[in-house]
Amino acid sequence: MSKTICVLPCNGLDKCAGDVSRRVALQLAQSDAVELICPVLLNQNKSRYEKVLESGELTVIDGCNTRCASKLAGDLELFIKEKVNVSEVAKALNIKLGVEIREDEDSKAVVQEVLEKISSSVAVQAESEFIEPESVAYDSFSHGKFIFKIPKSNYFFNENDCWVTVSGNMARIGVSDYVQQNLSDILYVDPPEIGDEFEQFDDLGSIESGKAVFEIISPVSGTVVAVNTALSDAPELVNESPYEKGWLVEVRLSDFEEDQDLLHDCPTYFKFLQRKVEEVDV
Amino acid sequence: MILDKIGIISCSGEECLGGTISRLAVRKMMEELKPGMVSTLCLPLFIAGDGGEREFAEKYPTIAVDGCSKCCAKRAIEKYSNKVAGSVDVAEIIGAEIALEKPLSTRNLTTEHMEYVKKTADKTCEIFDEILAKSV
Repeated sequence: MSKTICVLPCNGLDKCAGDVSRRVALQLAQSDAVELICPVLLNQNKSRYEKVLESGELTVIDGCNTRCASKLAGDLELFIKEKVNVSEVAKALNIKLGVEIREDEDSKAVVQEVLEKISSSVAVQAESEFIEPESVAYDSFSHGKFIFKIPKSNYFFNENDCWVTVSGNMARIGVSDYVQQNLSDILYVDPPEIGDEFEQFDDLGSIESGKAVFEIISPVSGTVVAVNTALSDAPELVNESPYEKGWLVEVRLSDFEEDQDLLHDCPTYFKFLQRKVEEVDV
Repeated sequence: MILDKIGIISCSGEECLGGTISRLAVRKMMEELKPGMVSTLCLPLFIAGDGGEREFAEKYPTIAVDGCSKCCAKRAIEKYSNKVAGSVDVAEIIGAEIALEKPLSTRNLTTEHMEYVKKTADKTCEIFDEILAKSV
């Protein structure tokens, strides 16, 4: 059986963004390959959609930043393949949707943009130029029931617990073991676009679990050349292997020497994290 | 009673035409028939438990407008907040068979569909007026 796309829109009626999510969903549902999922009925009776969700891939359309549809998918432990937030798309287009439900040119432009975002596959990425180390050696410390792993060398961290490891002019970015343990089961990784240029400490997408959304704060400046496509099918790789298989973004560095001034090397981060874990009492 | 303290929740409407009708009827009520007199509650938000929707339905009379006899909106209100002050089942107004047809985008609606919307909105207004009359 070929894979169906299951579309779960937020469907809210009290804001224009919710209505836009519904309009997008209805338009997508004109294709036989798309199965529309009603968020309310799903919440009430998950078994109704069990078969289609098993054989298909889930696309979630949130209207506003309350992210009801995403939360519902998270609560029901559904794996999200793709996600779009109507309010964020509108913001990027400089369109204010507001509360009133309307079908004007602005809302049509947002519908169109969301549709394009959903139908365009991830931009073609070049083969990775990053040379992976043969193995990574780790140090660890425990706090209560938690054991935190940190590589012994060749990784650099910012104080937002994001790491970078460098190979020539290329680097990979990810999140630390501390982040993945805090988030617990990661359900979705929202990567940046290939070709995006960014500065050190800019936002580089997010990762999301049933508990929270974590913004990836870039430890370096550069250009996105690849994202870890394996995470779209298996976001749990970030939990299982945060420093290796669970890398998030591959970048071409702009000025690592300068960026490095504001980063911790492994032994320093080890101590920093020990203090942090004590303070926040994980 | 403050006039805008009657809530209304529409079915989410992704499964059937009845859902489309229920959403449009609620909008008609908000925008044309009882402007400024009704608070619409977002059903997905209500289920997610954010935004104060459940608290509103606990404190104030709330009407459920459902697209079909599954009555998702009514059941959600009664599960998470309170007994509904009134409920409308679009399937009872337009017939179960039509209510279970595929949902439509507004640009594909016919005059017949708009008549269903009017009937549903009128029925909802009737319930609204009854609640209001009881409260004064």
